[in-house]
Parts: sequence; structure tokens; C-alpha cells
Amino acid sequence: MSLAGDGGLEVDLCIEGPRGGVDVSFRSEAAMVGLFGPSGAGKTSVLEAVAGLRPRARGRVRLGDRVLMDSELGVRLPPERREVGYLPQDLLLFPHLDVAGNVASSGRPGGEPTARVLDVLGLSAMERRAVGTLSGGERQRVALARALCSRPRLLLLDEPLGALDLPLRRRVLPYLMRVRDLYRIPTLLVSHDAAEVQALCDEVVVLKEGRVVAQGPPAEVLPSERVYALADARGYENVLEGRLVATGDGVARLRVKAGVELAVPPVEATGVGARVVVAVRAEDLLVATGPTPGLSARNRIPARIGRLRVAGGAVLLEASLGEGDGPRVAVKLTAEAVRDLGLEAGRAVYLVAKSSSFRILAVEEAP
Amino acid sequence: MDAALLVPLALSVQVAAAATALGLPPAVALGWVLARDRLPGRALLQTLVALPLVLPPTAVGYLLLRLLGRKGLLGTESLGVDLDLLFTWKGAVLASAVMALPLMVQAARGAFEEVDPRLESMARTLGHGPLSVALRFTVPLARRGLAAAALLGFGRALGEFGATVIVAGNIEGRTQTLALAIFNDIQVGDEARASQALGLTLVLAFLVLLPVERLLRRRGAP
Repeated sequence: MSLAGDGGLEVDLCIEGPRGGVDVSFRSEAAMVGLFGPSGAGKTSVLEAVAGLRPRARGRVRLGDRVLMDSELGVRLPPERREVGYLPQDLLLFPHLDVAGNVASSGRPGGEPTARVLDVLGLSAMERRAVGTLSGGERQRVALARALCSRPRLLLLDEPLGALDLPLRRRVLPYLMRVRDLYRIPTLLVSHDAAEVQALCDEVVVLKEGRVVAQGPPAEVLPSERVYALADARGYENVLEGRLVATGDGVARLRVKAGVELAVPPVEATGVGARVVVAVRAEDLLVATGPTPGLSARNRIPARIGRLRVAGGAVLLEASLGEGDGPRVAVKLTAEAVRDLGLEAGRAVYLVAKSSSFRILAVEEAP
Repeated sequence: MDAALLVPLALSVQVAAAATALGLPPAVALGWVLARDRLPGRALLQTLVALPLVLPPTAVGYLLLRLLGRKGLLGTESLGVDLDLLFTWKGAVLASAVMALPLMVQAARGAFEEVDPRLESMARTLGHGPLSVALRFTVPLARRGLAAAALLGFGRALGEFGATVIVAGNIEGRTQTLALAIFNDIQVGDEARASQALGLTLVLAFLVLLPVERLLRRRGAP
């Protein structure tokens, strides 16, 4: 049984719209499902229809054994009875209420105690502030807290980091990870950022022009060029999570799974033990067939080749770090390099990367 | 100043305040209804509500007089009780409330139309039904515009003459408000007293309209 209950989340929706409309169907047992795709793909429409804010949407939405709508059966719960926690892209904080007032504005009794949620999201000190005086990251957290306190059975997060600049995302992403791990509420998360989806979601549903074009675990679905190129101009990024074990001399060292250590750029004001999430582009990883001494690049990570996938003129090589039991990463190579080095599945290699090729996505201080 | 003017001054304020209190609840409800997009018959309702703006106030007064007369729809014979409105200060309240209603409805409607409907949708997802959304979100979000509506209604009621004089008469000390007192003073040629009454109405009008301007200018601000 999944978090959502037996059968998980089922979405089968048809929403008329000016740009061809949306016709999506997916089912997922994952705790956090990402809806990924370019703008205009219909992601927000799906979220609004699940929340009950699209009166003309038709189809079926079911969470566990609760049917939220079913056009054939004539069931359509009004928004106030759907028990969803909605975080819209523009937040929609109530301007006439302060922080605590917004967080406690739910009409459903018996939700999370607001004081605790404010504490978890680092908002306790600003309970009495007017929402108009908050920074972007603070407003984001207030809207998230409000959604959490409404006793939701399903969280609907629409680009929860989209409106924030990069340094701020780094600070807010850990809050989302904490909410995911602490409250374990089934979540549908809309994002056009592939790295964000990987950092947060167990499963991703890819939308394009109102249709589902792929679905599966993010690390499997997203590296495909057909998928990531839909939304992300940076190219596919591998996302890795680890603990900070040492800092100094211009690098920080992270230990990720399987005992693998990464050298990444220094992380500001963070002590050993902090949880850090980093991203590295598939094309910024090099493959060496031997130990190659005398390199300035700070990362030389043993890995074992998994699958090789041809994508256009390039080859997407999947490798597992360590002895083959570590996190999986994708490396983008030319077909010529693959042929010259004789790269094939099962072969032990080294992945080489400069520490500066890693981008810090999230930092959470050790408790 | 002629101390005797204090009586119509007090009566004016009393009548206008009561008329505002009487008219504001229906005005807020009508403004809310008229601000809804999908309302059947909205044009008809809007026209009905706006009628007192266009009709001669004396016509409205005469209509009320007919309604409240012994054989009228709201008269003693129809209701079985005597509302005791004709030629009393309460009659002036009713006449002023009717005349102030269109202005209050218009302002309330504007206030509700300024409320972002997405905020109301947000409140729905938080578990609030339509009535709870209206009372706990829409009205508080529109509160500045609604306060302006109340002040405008109060101001309009202060100046009411035509309907009031027909329903309540012009009885010194009982139904004679400042507006009626000015008319009376001119009729009897007491220009000094008329001028003093004029000065009082100017001061009152200023006191009422100044905050309206502030409320409407800062509307939307938290």
C-alpha cells in the first residue's frame, strides 16, 4: 500500500482549453509525483482540476479509495471537501491576515498544530508579520505552512521554487525535503526544473502539449534527451545527495551512498554533517579507463558502466558510482569516444570532474 | 452660532447614522450579488437598485408615502401593526436609507469586484464553503471599499431632502434636519441662519468625504 492508500493516485482528466486542451491519464503509487514539462504543457491546469478549481474539467480523480471526481458517476466534490493542500505558483497569501493568520486560515479542524509547522519551516519568529513585508522565500514557506495546516490528504505544489532566485532556492529546497520526509503526505509537484524533480520526487510524469509522454523514476526518465530538452536549457543534470565530511582549501567534501566521496564547491556557513544536494551536468563528467594520476580535477570517482543509450549523435552512458552499488549517474559522450575507449556495460571506469562542475542545490544544517 | 441649529444638526447625524445602519446590510448583500459574474438577471436587478438615483426624490418620497399609508402595502391595515413611520424621524431614516441605497450598493459592488477571485478559490481549497468564504474572506478583503460605501451612504443621507420632506414632513425639533432647516430658513427669509446651516453642512460633508478618498486610494493595500 502506498502513502495515498490502496491504488495510489489516479488522474484521468480532460480539460478544454484555448491551446488544444489537456488530456492526461496517469496512476502512481509514489509518495511524491513530479509533473514535468515546458510551460504551456498543462501542468497547472491538471493541478487546478485536481483541487476542484476547474469546473469544466471532466474525467476521474481518485486518491486511494476516495473519489474526488468522476464524471461518469456524476461525482464532483467541491474544492472545500477535497482535502487537498494547494500551493499555487503565485502563492495567493491573504493580504488581510498576518503570517499566523494565513497559516491558521484552514476551515478544516484537526490539522497539524500551526506552532509546530511554523517551527519546522523556520517561521516562528515572524508570526505577527504582515505578509506584505516578507521576502520571497518567507512568503513561499508561509504558503507551504498554510497548505500543511489544512489537514491535506494530498499536497498540490505548483512550481514551489519557481519564483525564487537561485541562492534562495538553495535555502527553500531543504524545507520541501524536510516536509516530504516528516509529514509523508502524498504530493503532486509541478516543476519545469529537472534537477528539482530529481531531488524531490520518486516518480515523474512528463507532459507535453497536454499529453503524457513519459512516466517513471526521475533518474531513468529524465536523462532522455527527448524529455529533458522539453524544459531545461541547462542539459540533463545528475542530482546527488550526501553529508558534508570536510571543508577547506576551496573545496567541500561530501560523502554520498556506497562510501563515495565528492569534491564540490565550498558551501557557505555550514558545518560538518550538513545534508547537501548537488547537481552535475551529464556533459561535464569525463570517463577514464585507468586511474590517471596527475589531474587537477578534484573528482576521480570509481564507477561501473550500466546501460549505454544512443541519443542522436551522442551516447548517454549510465554508470553506478563505487563498486556498482552507488548512486546512478548519466554521462553524455560522443559515439567516437565510446568506440575509442571500448566502453561497454559492466566495465569498471573512473568518472572525472572538476569540483566547480558541481552546483549546490540545497543545504540543510545538521540538526 | 445660533444654538437652535444644534437640534437639526443632531437630528441630521442621528437620521443619517440610522439610515446607514439600515441600508448597509442590504447594500452589502446586493453589492456582493451584483459583483458575481454569472448572475442571471443582473441587468434587471442593477436597474431596479439604481432607480432612486434617477427618479425625482419627491417621486420616491411619494411612493413611500403610498406604501406606508393606511391602505398601502406597508400600512396599518395590511400589516396589522402601525409602524408609526409617517411624519416621524424614523420615516426620515427610511426615506434617507432608500435614497442612499444605490450609492452604497454601487460602492460595495466595486469593493467586491476588486477582490481577487483566486483568493476566494484558495479559501475554498482550505475547506471553506461558499458562505464561509464570503463572510471570512470576501468581506474582510473588501473592508476598505465597504467602509467607503458606508461613509458615502452616510453622506448621501445627510443631504437627503426631497423624499424626506414628503415622508417625514418638516417639523421643527422632530423631523427637521439641516437640509430641511435650510429650506425653511430661506422660505422665511432668515438668511443669517441659512448661512450658518450651510457652513455646518459644508464641514460635515468634508469630514465624511475626506476619509472616503483615503480609503479608496489605498484600496488593495494590506
